[in-house]
Amino acid sequence: MKLNIEGLLVYFPYDYIYPEQYSYMLELKRTLDAKGHGVLEMPSGTGKTISLLSLIVAYQRAFPLDVTKLIYCSRTVPEIEKVVEELRKLMEFYAKETGERNNFLALALSSRKNLCIHPEVSSLRFGKEVDGKCHSLTASYIRAQRHVNPNQPVCRFYEEFDAVGRQVPLPAGIYNLDDLKDFGRRKGWCPYYLARYAILHANIVVYSYHYLLDPKIADLVSKELAKKSVVVFDEAHNIDNVCIDSMSVNITRRTLDRCQNNVDTLQNTIQKIKETDAAKLREEYRRLVEGLKEANVARETDIYLSNPVLPDEILKEAVPGTIRTAEHFVGFLRRFLEYLKSRLRVHHVVQESAPQFLKDIFDKVCIDRKPLRFCAERLQSLLRTLEIADIADFSAVTLISNFATLVSTYSQGFTIIIEPFEDRTPTIANPVLHFSCMDPSIAIKPVFQRFQSVIITSGTLSPLDIYPRILDFRPVTMASFTMTLARTCLCPLIVGRGNDQVALSSKFETREDFAVIRNYGNLLLEMSAVVPDGIVAFFTSYVYMENIVASWYEQGILENIQRNKLIFIETQDAAETSMALEKYQEACENGRGAILLSVARGKVSEGIDFVHHFGRAVIMFGVPYVYTQSRILKARLEYLRDQFQIRENDFLTFDAMRHAAQCVGRAIRGKTDYGLMIFADKRYARADKRGKLPRWIQEHINDGSLNLTVDETVQLSKHFLRQMAQPFRQEDQLGLSLLTLEQLESEEMLQKITQIAHQT
Amino acid sequence: MDEEPERAKRWEGGYERTWEVLKEDESGSLKATVEEILYQSKRKRVIESHGQVRLGMMRHLFVVIDCSRSMEDQDLKPNRLTSTLKLMEAFIDGYFDQNPISQVGIITTKNKRAEKLTDLAGNPKKHIAMLKKAVDTVCVGEPSLYNSLKLAIQTLKHMPGHTSREILIILSSLTTCDPANIYEMTKTLKSLNVRVSIIGLSAEVRVCTVLTRETGGSYHVILDESHFKELLMLHVKPPPTSSSSECSLIRMGFPQHTIGSLADQDAKPAFSMSHLDSSSGPSLGGYFCPQCHSNYTELPVECKVCGLTLVSAPHLARSFHHLFPLDAFIESPVEEHQRNGFCQACQGELKDKSIFTCPSCRSVFCVECDLFIHDSLHCCPSCIHSQTAS
Repeated sequence: MKLNIEGLLVYFPYDYIYPEQYSYMLELKRTLDAKGHGVLEMPSGTGKTISLLSLIVAYQRAFPLDVTKLIYCSRTVPEIEKVVEELRKLMEFYAKETGERNNFLALALSSRKNLCIHPEVSSLRFGKEVDGKCHSLTASYIRAQRHVNPNQPVCRFYEEFDAVGRQVPLPAGIYNLDDLKDFGRRKGWCPYYLARYAILHANIVVYSYHYLLDPKIADLVSKELAKKSVVVFDEAHNIDNVCIDSMSVNITRRTLDRCQNNVDTLQNTIQKIKETDAAKLREEYRRLVEGLKEANVARETDIYLSNPVLPDEILKEAVPGTIRTAEHFVGFLRRFLEYLKSRLRVHHVVQESAPQFLKDIFDKVCIDRKPLRFCAERLQSLLRTLEIADIADFSAVTLISNFATLVSTYSQGFTIIIEPFEDRTPTIANPVLHFSCMDPSIAIKPVFQRFQSVIITSGTLSPLDIYPRILDFRPVTMASFTMTLARTCLCPLIVGRGNDQVALSSKFETREDFAVIRNYGNLLLEMSAVVPDGIVAFFTSYVYMENIVASWYEQGILENIQRNKLIFIETQDAAETSMALEKYQEACENGRGAILLSVARGKVSEGIDFVHHFGRAVIMFGVPYVYTQSRILKARLEYLRDQFQIRENDFLTFDAMRHAAQCVGRAIRGKTDYGLMIFADKRYARADKRGKLPRWIQEHINDGSLNLTVDETVQLSKHFLRQMAQPFRQEDQLGLSLLTLEQLESEEMLQKITQIAHQT
Repeated sequence: MDEEPERAKRWEGGYERTWEVLKEDESGSLKATVEEILYQSKRKRVIESHGQVRLGMMRHLFVVIDCSRSMEDQDLKPNRLTSTLKLMEAFIDGYFDQNPISQVGIITTKNKRAEKLTDLAGNPKKHIAMLKKAVDTVCVGEPSLYNSLKLAIQTLKHMPGHTSREILIILSSLTTCDPANIYEMTKTLKSLNVRVSIIGLSAEVRVCTVLTRETGGSYHVILDESHFKELLMLHVKPPPTSSSSECSLIRMGFPQHTIGSLADQDAKPAFSMSHLDSSSGPSLGGYFCPQCHSNYTELPVECKVCGLTLVSAPHLARSFHHLFPLDAFIESPVEEHQRNGFCQACQGELKDKSIFTCPSCRSVFCVECDLFIHDSLHCCPSCIHSQTAS
């Protein structure tokens, strides 16, 4: 289908289009026209990805000078693959319609683990191992040694790529991870380095958030991407947490012990080298005097452990004298380490800001701010000089040096919290130093500054205005789109009371209340009798789930439920959970029916879709507030209040509701799908909670379904499920929620479409 | 939004919030809309006819009735089981009325097992009697689709290839307890050309969707009791056969009914073969098999002695009409029709909004007669009339 979006010719690879897709493209085009940033919320399953791709590709073709590149960030490898497949469909459509092969290059990039084709290296199981092994085969000094010693093993794929690969550009086309691997095998080139090299001139790059947000990786991979790029963050409802995680450092006693070993190793190696090849160290010293600028020009494979965001001026400066020689630096590290150890020997919680920490370290062990800032750079230089091949072992000392650099670079937006024990186990000493980032805008700021348009999009971004505030940017468009439906295929119900009129709530005071637990059990039992196939139930936390399930077991509720459906439970163990998930799906498939008990914010609630029969109902037991006693959270809330004028309660509710929306949104993955969304907590009925749900859910909650009893819920569910089971064909959707080109172009429809987008 | 909580209260089921549809006309009267609703409900069952399609006229149908715990649910009155059995009686009647040379058998499933209530047979009375008895069954445990299907297949696979093999499942439960993989069973069913249709009483279950899609049957879920009846009655009409089913000639006997009187010397009292087990005594008259002269009191029946299918000509004729369905009459508003205001069939005045015109003889009928003609008569009376007249 060829569309005309405000004068832009857009090729859309399907015969039908949803009205909201059209509306979405309109808003997107306006954002691109304005060369600004945008926040767009559109329900999952309404074809967000293809709308984005079609419009941006069309835009790239129409204005090749304005938009040179699309950087599409997604969260998981399967999602990345899905995007590439959509893109392939789009390109095939282009080829068919225009009849010419366009020279479009699009590729996916992932970690070495997913791209390596070296027989030995790729057989390793963990990403870290693969990275380390790869580095030991491809580092520049290893390859230099090969000239001397031909027995030195190197990676032949990398050698081949290095010899020829750079001169020959990757042929135009669409490459997902497997395509890259195939191409690599055919040519004998390393797919990982090929991809990393190719993203510089590719039209579309699809990769993970971290390549852009995590400063350690971003510096390496995304440094040279053109300014005139459009960056899209898909499924971006958690983007603030990703930003924060990428900047935070946690140090435990174990880290320090491992770090101690690292330092010892360094010391020994230095000693050895001094005896054999003192010139090398002198050479390094000379280089450091000249400044880091030159060190930065080292070859790409060496920049393996890159620095966190360093202000540019540091690179121009010379490394301070106190840490210039290798021995001094190791000594410096030792002192720093001892200091950290002494800090971890605390009996009560300590919270301080970065300047306080710096002052204390200066007072106690006379470490200045300046050498700390260079710590990360200096360590890398040393590791390079010492030619340590197996770099994976040095993660602990790298972490510490990164921490040193961060703490001395940023005085704002970070906090240091030292806890002598975990909250769950107050008797066991397990000291942790949290260097916690409180301001997500620090990590994402370079992205907003650098690129022309950044689009943040997801199925659940409500309330929209909070994202620009916490990420500190000014969007030109903020819009939320509803789902046009030919039949009401989602049924949100808020259950506020049990049959005995006990108010249902997971709030702290009634958390242990026997009556509430029993009524929750009753709700699940009754629902298990009326909902076919799969039910997914979410609890607010693992602890809460364990309590409730144990209590249900004692009351015999579990046994009764099992007469209707099988029960599976998500645990913190990933292998166990994926096993449970597999069995759950099998039970849904063969008619036995199953219930999956899982946890909001867990693995299931984020990444796994329950299409059609795998999730006919989602029950959300309680409001998934984050654990509010955590000091990190408290510090962050305080920071939000002081810096961004966001009240604690607003943020907590926002955070709880976005997770609740994520959970219930798992059930509906398209317009032919249908599902019940049951919010089992009376607090959902309050306007401040309800108002923070995405609009496409909110508009289906009517006043009648705000405070239901279990019985009423069952009756409504029964009715809804029967309605939905009636035959539903594509023709029923046509003209309402699915449009042909002619229908789209009618005046009346265009009128309607303007109402879909809800500007804030 | 059409999801009002009030709507699903059980005492309101079937009413479909009629008050919202009601609108007052200019004079403030509701009469017009009420009539409209009644009229619509009458028209609902207009059957779209297939035309020139091969139909499975000789049907072998197993009805599987779920007797699991969930059948005690009271959303159908007085409970699901009683309501189902009641409707089944009507179904059996209708089935034999429309498919006189077909057979039906009933299977119940509960407690993970399946049992045969009645074997495949062509006698509605026996089935209905068994259904009446079954009202008292205790509903326990879970149903087993696999076991029921297996039981049905055991009989169906021996049925000749020219007959249609069907299974109709009335499933109330949302789970099934199967001893083996049901998808293997689906393959078997497919290879045997067995068509499985399901009527769900509660909600859409994935395994049923797959089962019916694979075997070419239909899957419906009821909304309320009247919808249930409607769905059940859809299965009364013979389904189109798949092209793979074979054709063959069938021997049939057309026995004459003889009325023996005691005065007739030739008359010998004989036991009806089909009622040997029952207590009824010997009778003088009845239908005598043209091949072996065994006595039967009613038709159609398969002769127990020589295996000949015994039918009467009207039976065959009744089955026949499915092959040549009567064309749907053309509906038009009454205003367009000026000639005379009387229905050709009942001679009543045409009071409804629409009239129906037979496409071949252009006669005009009212709604009631249109329904009667299409549901029961299967031929246009005025066409027949003109044929005999000429």
